[in-house]
Amino acid sequence: MSMEGYLTFALTKGRLADKTLKLLEHAGISCTEMEDKDTRKLIFVNEEQKVRFFLAKGPDVPTYVEYGVADIGVTGKDTILEEGRRCFEVLDLGFGKCRMCVCGPESARELLEHHEMIRVASKYPNIARDFFYNRKGQTVDIIKLNGSVELGPIVGLSDVIVDIVETGSTLKENGLMVLEEVCPLSARMIVNQVSMRMENERIRRLISQLAEALEKE
Amino acid sequence: MEKLIHTPEGVRDIYGSELAMRKSVNEKILSTFNLYGYKEIETPTFEYFDIFSKEIGTTPSRELYKFFDREGDTLVLRPDFTPSIARSAVKYFMEDGKPVRLSYSGRAFTNNLNLQGKLKETTQSGAELIGDGSVDADCDVLAMVIDTLKNAGFKRFTVSIGEVGFFKGLCEEAALDEESILKLREQISVKNYYGAGEMLKHRGVSKKLQELILRAGDVLDKEELKELADDVTNEMSKAAIQRLIEIYDVMCMHGMEEYISIDLGMLSKLNYYTGLIFKAYTYGAGDAIAKGGRYDGLLGRFGHEAPAIGCVFLLDDIVSALLAAGVKGADDTEVQVVEYGEKDRRAAFEKIAELRKSGKPAVGKKV
Repeated sequence: MSMEGYLTFALTKGRLADKTLKLLEHAGISCTEMEDKDTRKLIFVNEEQKVRFFLAKGPDVPTYVEYGVADIGVTGKDTILEEGRRCFEVLDLGFGKCRMCVCGPESARELLEHHEMIRVASKYPNIARDFFYNRKGQTVDIIKLNGSVELGPIVGLSDVIVDIVETGSTLKENGLMVLEEVCPLSARMIVNQVSMRMENERIRRLISQLAEALEKE
Repeated sequence: MEKLIHTPEGVRDIYGSELAMRKSVNEKILSTFNLYGYKEIETPTFEYFDIFSKEIGTTPSRELYKFFDREGDTLVLRPDFTPSIARSAVKYFMEDGKPVRLSYSGRAFTNNLNLQGKLKETTQSGAELIGDGSVDADCDVLAMVIDTLKNAGFKRFTVSIGEVGFFKGLCEEAALDEESILKLREQISVKNYYGAGEMLKHRGVSKKLQELILRAGDVLDKEELKELADDVTNEMSKAAIQRLIEIYDVMCMHGMEEYISIDLGMLSKLNYYTGLIFKAYTYGAGDAIAKGGRYDGLLGRFGHEAPAIGCVFLLDDIVSALLAAGVKGADDTEVQVVEYGEKDRRAAFEKIAELRKSGKPAVGKKV
């Protein structure tokens, strides 16, 4: 469980973590231990400021936060939607902007206009299911893939895919295009419900400091 | 052949010192209820589906354990106790019009998703005060929640209080449709105020109302509540804030305001709440360890209008929070072993009987 007196952050490994740390500097929070890229440490502590950090895979961040082993987490909106964990989503950090889209070849556009059964491949089965069942009212067969989802329509496994689109260049190279937008995405800060109550002042101050820093940018 | 000895996901065996601790903590909870004048009641583990249906506003249907009896009626394992208590209160206790205080303790069942690390069978101990709609009744329950947590061994905890009327009033004033309200609830309940703001703008809600809805999350103390009450124009929201202010004042008279924090943005998954709602939080638990609220409309569903308020303590989470806080579990009493041979059997049996008579657990062992 989260240590009393410390604020524990769960950050998404990679670019998102670097950007988050830079943003946290605006709120006066830093962690020199993390700057050493070769370190094998899993948990980084700044004793002076009473903060701890650890790095996790994106989809696990909401899990750590829901259980309260981390007070605060930073991860993409896509994983928050997909995991459906109960956490407070308090701030849109603005970076890591992209879109969740239904993509496929031009010929598949027609399939989305009727309610006929189609096959959808996705790394995000929950988001795909929610979009087709609850927003479009279309019956679909969802196939969970773990990467290179674009292959789905190309090799004939599925009619369309539901995936993150940043620039759309991978799609283009493979003869696919965005057919419909599901929702916009970006990095979000999430907070455990109990931490929000027990460390209310500290976390609120942090949120408003970060919000200010974001506005200036 | 492989033997099946593990339990299904979401249920487990509880034994040894953990069970001893659970029992002693539960005993402390129930004896505090008793001090506040509550009498225990037991209701059946399963009831007709209608008791827990959508109209009552309890757990979503897909999360209920459902099965059929021989006549083909749908039965449900209780997901919480409140509807059952309300039903039996209407049936047995409503004749003289006096307030009724009932408490319970038992297992409840929710068929939640796998692999989320959540129990499907939990132990809940709670109390319901039926037939008293006053602020003093609200505060009597809040005071009992605080005393119970203290008696259970918690030193640092906070009870967040909110009022469902505040949000409801604003939604009505903004003339939002049901779907928008659901979406808004979802966002407010995860404190996603920027998302809620975007949505309200999109739905063409007036600037002033937008601001009021979003301000709910920032209200922290009585002064801010008063300011908000002055700015709110619809009656329902105004009444809700006034009620919270009154509740806060009475909690001060109880001398318990240090444990109370105001959270107007708090919403409950249970739809039967009509007024005050509250949740108790502490370190070492990822979610609320006790919760409750006022449900003045529920008894009417069973044929007898009466105001009511209740609270429930989630024993599984309470025990793990206590363990995380370093509170030691009750030790199992040592069992004395009396060894004997073929010859001194009689003497050994006498000795064992003596030990048991004096209240010490003892067993014999032939060597």
